Amino acid sequence: MRRYARFVIPAVVIIGVLGFLMVNLSSSLVYYNTPAELQARDASDASLRLAGRVVPGSVVENEATVAFTVEDCDTTVSVVHVGAPPQLFQDGIMVVVGGTWDGEEFASSEMFVKHDEQYRTDAEDYDRTDHSCTDS
Amino acid sequence: MTSPEQSELSPSSVWPWVVMAVAGLVTFVAAMSVSPDAVQGQLSRIMYVHVPAAWLAYLAFGITMFGSAMYLWKKSLKWDRLAHSSAEIGVFFTGLAIALGMTWAKPTWGVWWTWDARLTLTAIMFFVYLGYLALRRTTDNLEVRAKRASILGVVAIIQVPLVHFSVVWWRSLHQAPTIIRPEGPDMDTSMVVTLLIAVASFTVMYVAMMIKRMELAHLEDEITIEEQSHQGPAAGDAVVAPDLAGGV
Repeated sequence: MRRYARFVIPAVVIIGVLGFLMVNLSSSLVYYNTPAELQARDASDASLRLAGRVVPGSVVENEATVAFTVEDCDTTVSVVHVGAPPQLFQDGIMVVVGGTWDGEEFASSEMFVKHDEQYRTDAEDYDRTDHSCTDS
Repeated sequence: MTSPEQSELSPSSVWPWVVMAVAGLVTFVAAMSVSPDAVQGQLSRIMYVHVPAAWLAYLAFGITMFGSAMYLWKKSLKWDRLAHSSAEIGVFFTGLAIALGMTWAKPTWGVWWTWDARLTLTAIMFFVYLGYLALRRTTDNLEVRAKRASILGVVAIIQVPLVHFSVVWWRSLHQAPTIIRPEGPDMDTSMVVTLLIAVASFTVMYVAMMIKRMELAHLEDEITIEEQSHQGPAAGDAVVAPDLAGGV
């Protein structure tokens, strides 16, 4: 009984903690918001992240900023990013931007390129259309 | 101080080293000869080492769990040596996958590190298995050591599916799996083949490393047993509690 308990109790505790974390954190531990989720939010000074595909042709580079639109699931958000974007930043690529939302426009101060799971030797073969929604 | 078993146990062959070198060379040639990804360019070649390194971490920790469970069942130290050797190799390849992932992330994502689900859980897995190696140093009694380590070796395996599926279960900066997914690989065939060659080479490398590490672990255990059998009385043994009449 004691040998059995020594093995089972730690296992139960660890699985319990992990299960608790998975159930309770998966809603709050969100790395980024989708455009639709952002549109549903009120303007706030809290910093958050937004992910979406850069709409081809929407990128306007200014002196210190770059403005563009991201989309996901046919919902779009205008983004103004202060600073230089990562070198892979381009039309049709997924980005994660961090900053604040004023209800109209996302003011980004950090940008990551979210390389997707596609690998192609020929650029023509990439699927850059907004074919799927980011799962929730 | 030559023990009679030395000749029988002495690390013998050169062939595991040869196998490791050949496997490394095969991976290098395959990774350098395939056409690079159109978006990432030459950077995509890091994949052919990063992915096999991560795979070996999973495999190694799986073998650690197997060895640990077998020890708890059979109580034979050879299973503990299997678990220990594999954990050490697994820690090395987890560290390699993290280091390569960071060097890949900086030019592609634009950042060395971010606390997304995949990266955070991988870091935790790395430290938990370092903890496994540290736990083994908490006693020099081989049986006690094996028992403590085996329990952790079994329990810690839960991290492997957690790390692997983190990119599916949570939103992360790290992309979702490319190869093993319901719709089939989202990658050009030439790259899939190269990746499979790299993964196979790394697996062969793991087997060769395990053979060498197990030999070493066997020698270590023999030395420990030898030392413990020759141990004279400890200095403190001469000290006995005073026998006070009427004392407690």
